[in-house]
Amino acid sequence: MPSRSEAAGPNPPDLAAGADVVTVARPTDLAGARDAVVTAGTAGTSVLIRGGGTKLGWWARPRGGSSPVEAGPSSGRASSVDNQRPSTVIDTRGLDQLIHHEPGDMTATVQAGMRLDLLQAALAPAGQWLAIDPPRRGGVVTVGGVFAANDAGPRRFGYGGVRDLVIGSTTVLADGAVSRSGGTVIKNVAGYDLNKLWCGSLGTLGLVVELTVRLHPLPEATKTVRIPAAAASASSFVTDLLASPVECVAVEWSGDALVIQLEGRAAGLDARLDQLARLAGEHGLEPELVDDDVWPALREAHGGAPGATVVRASTLPSQLGAVSDALAAAAGTDVSVTLHSHAGLGLHDAVLTGGDASTQAAVIGTLRTAVEALGGHVVVRDRPPELDDHLDPWGVPGSAIELMRSVKRAVDPEWRFAPGRFVGGI
Amino acid sequence: MVDDADAVPTELQSELAEILGPEGLITERSQRRTYESDGLTAYRAVPALVALPVSTEQVSGVMRACARHGVPLVPRGAGTGLSGGALPHPDGVLIVLSRMRRIVDVDVLNQRITVEPGVTNAAVSRAVAPHQLYYAPDPSSQIVCSIGGNVAENSGGAHCLKYGFTTHHVLGCELVLPDGQVVQVGAATLDPPGYDLRGVLVGSEGTLGVVTQVTLRLLRRPESVRTLVADFTDPASAGTAVSAIVAAGVVPAAVEMMDNLAIQACESDAAAGFDVNAGAALIVELDGPEAECDASFAEVVALCQESGATAIRIADQPDERARVWQGRKAAFAAMGRLAPDYLVQDGVIPRTRLGECLARIAELAADAELRVANVFHAGDGNLHPLVLFDSSRPGETERAEALSTAIAELCVSFGGSLSGEHGIGADKACSMPKMFGAEDLAIMDRVRAAFDPDGRCNPDKVLPTPRLCGERPGRYRPHPLETAGVIERW
Repeated sequence: MPSRSEAAGPNPPDLAAGADVVTVARPTDLAGARDAVVTAGTAGTSVLIRGGGTKLGWWARPRGGSSPVEAGPSSGRASSVDNQRPSTVIDTRGLDQLIHHEPGDMTATVQAGMRLDLLQAALAPAGQWLAIDPPRRGGVVTVGGVFAANDAGPRRFGYGGVRDLVIGSTTVLADGAVSRSGGTVIKNVAGYDLNKLWCGSLGTLGLVVELTVRLHPLPEATKTVRIPAAAASASSFVTDLLASPVECVAVEWSGDALVIQLEGRAAGLDARLDQLARLAGEHGLEPELVDDDVWPALREAHGGAPGATVVRASTLPSQLGAVSDALAAAAGTDVSVTLHSHAGLGLHDAVLTGGDASTQAAVIGTLRTAVEALGGHVVVRDRPPELDDHLDPWGVPGSAIELMRSVKRAVDPEWRFAPGRFVGGI
Repeated sequence: MVDDADAVPTELQSELAEILGPEGLITERSQRRTYESDGLTAYRAVPALVALPVSTEQVSGVMRACARHGVPLVPRGAGTGLSGGALPHPDGVLIVLSRMRRIVDVDVLNQRITVEPGVTNAAVSRAVAPHQLYYAPDPSSQIVCSIGGNVAENSGGAHCLKYGFTTHHVLGCELVLPDGQVVQVGAATLDPPGYDLRGVLVGSEGTLGVVTQVTLRLLRRPESVRTLVADFTDPASAGTAVSAIVAAGVVPAAVEMMDNLAIQACESDAAAGFDVNAGAALIVELDGPEAECDASFAEVVALCQESGATAIRIADQPDERARVWQGRKAAFAAMGRLAPDYLVQDGVIPRTRLGECLARIAELAADAELRVANVFHAGDGNLHPLVLFDSSRPGETERAEALSTAIAELCVSFGGSLSGEHGIGADKACSMPKMFGAEDLAIMDRVRAAFDPDGRCNPDKVLPTPRLCGERPGRYRPHPLETAGVIERW
């Protein structure tokens, strides 16, 4: 397996898997970004986009052909890469500028390749931040990469996802058209909200070059509480917590304990801690106040160690216990599994190590069946390439898949952006 | 029979009668006329047929039939929209969703509810109130407006400053596409695989299909709510107070402002206790955990005083608070006391440019020799200037319309938006090129075509068309935001 540092290099194996990369473009402004896309089109290559390179493994492996129609049955399964177009890689890390920060309006416009940590550092002197805390995943993440992958961390519970915080975007489409959607004000319903379309599209629709974001004030004070609890009792505690007036910004469960973060004014946090303790007591649980520095490790645990397989299950918040049981039942002796859950949101990451690809695929398949029976869904993120010979990382697409293909055709008619990497062979 | 001859094929009428039954199809012209406009009454058109479906199957059947006959369709909720989004098509079928008003499922544990589109906004909160839950978006028309309409318009309300708009609270929708196909976009669980089409659908103003079920996120009622009304000598100093509150890192649940003319109207209508001599009134509401809410509230009171508040009234009793909000939410209706007619505008500006913008609005109003009352969501810069006029005076309606449009476009020139919550609809489609470039609009049109390739679903709304707005020459024109100095050309 490639190490993380290699994966973050200029031509990472995950990105290039099965792709014949002929050019790497590193634009530094909108004009250069547009040129790179237009040049790729003229040369007849596909376009693969990378930022920090930490989530490239989330893609499905590319397929041949320029659209699922030409590629035959649109199973979305990884398959041979015959008839594969060569690719242009666009590296966004040169798009690294904070274009504008308006503290009075609590908004900022950034180039998509800006490192998230550097953005936060630039906003902090004004007492503000972009309220997202995704894992660094062994590298350095960019704002655009987090947006394109719709990645998130523990505090999504309190602040919403990156989708909820982006209020404007500038995106270059395959034919060089520049699409601006939204604007620079938080409240705005003029025109379609295409920001939502680009968010989570994993570079399969266009090149996001600039983003305008809503900011939040940095909290005056924070407290972290750890509550040892097995999955089932954690699950029932969490639903009671949701029903209580105790406001939290993060509700995590990792292996054997809930970890909860409170934020707000110093004046009121102790009262909330008392309420939380009372609620825990009613469940026979014993909370302990711990240091805030537990959070980086908790956050990174969702990404797993290098080489691990990471499976994302999405359910209702009340189903943590059921997911944990399903995973325990699925795991055999060869594959070891740990579960890290954004328990308040119903988003669970299972990290699999050991066993060969087919054994891991069997575990995931069993988990997927169980989670789908609960009304949820399972996608596979980081994984060894061989796993795709046994299992579609995206699973069976829902009833809107044909509509998604229509949207893809409307926006990227030549199937130029990362063909075959998205759900349903998009 | 349809009496305005040949507006739709006779076969379509009999097919719809079959699908909908006698209760579900309105053909009489006098009855169809009831639906000729929504909340924007300046625009009127009598629909050729009115369909009143009661199920997804009926909606799908109607849309399939319309597709077969190439007939346009317009969805309508409660008809409270203020941008003509539900303006009927004279040769089309109006699909009225008000009979689909079932609450399908309440999941108290996971704080979710699934409803049909005709359920009113207030009914959602009412249904879950016993569980201490509520639905956050609260448009002023919440007692009558429907969830389907809220989804179409991405409705906001006074409390969206802290809690977000409809798009932040819709998890999933059952959508009937213009060809009749039924699909699920989004889900009760987060991040279903694929594109976030739900995010595109919310705020698409009925141009992408008809929503037949919606799953919403509910919130736990906050532990504590504190409300105050602060009087100022003029809107600019009230604006200074808003900036000071935001700069202090306080995120209020709501910050509303009314100028003197608006206060007079509200007070004469609702007697909510506003001071009719104040130059401006600021309503600030905080909510959250009790101790923190109290600490922030004390800070807000101090900041209002420092910014020159002439009086501060704390409305802590529930009935007092209700009266304040009733007064504020009645603002539009109360304008009838000041003038026979009025137009509501809905522009957004960056909050930091409030003073400048109000001064410009006053100049524009003076030039037009018309009065403008200002009511706005001051926390997020969403202005609702109300242009007062008397349609019985020759030329005044035209002057009022021109002034209203000029105000919306003024907001764009400040780097803001044509609409914060009322939508583009029929009213502002021709102003869209002031805010977006030709490429931006062309891409939105391509996305629209992915849902509705024949362009039959609520046509002539949202996006400008040459037929509607006249041809514009090709060639390069600077992007509107470029002209405003907000962006640079590459």
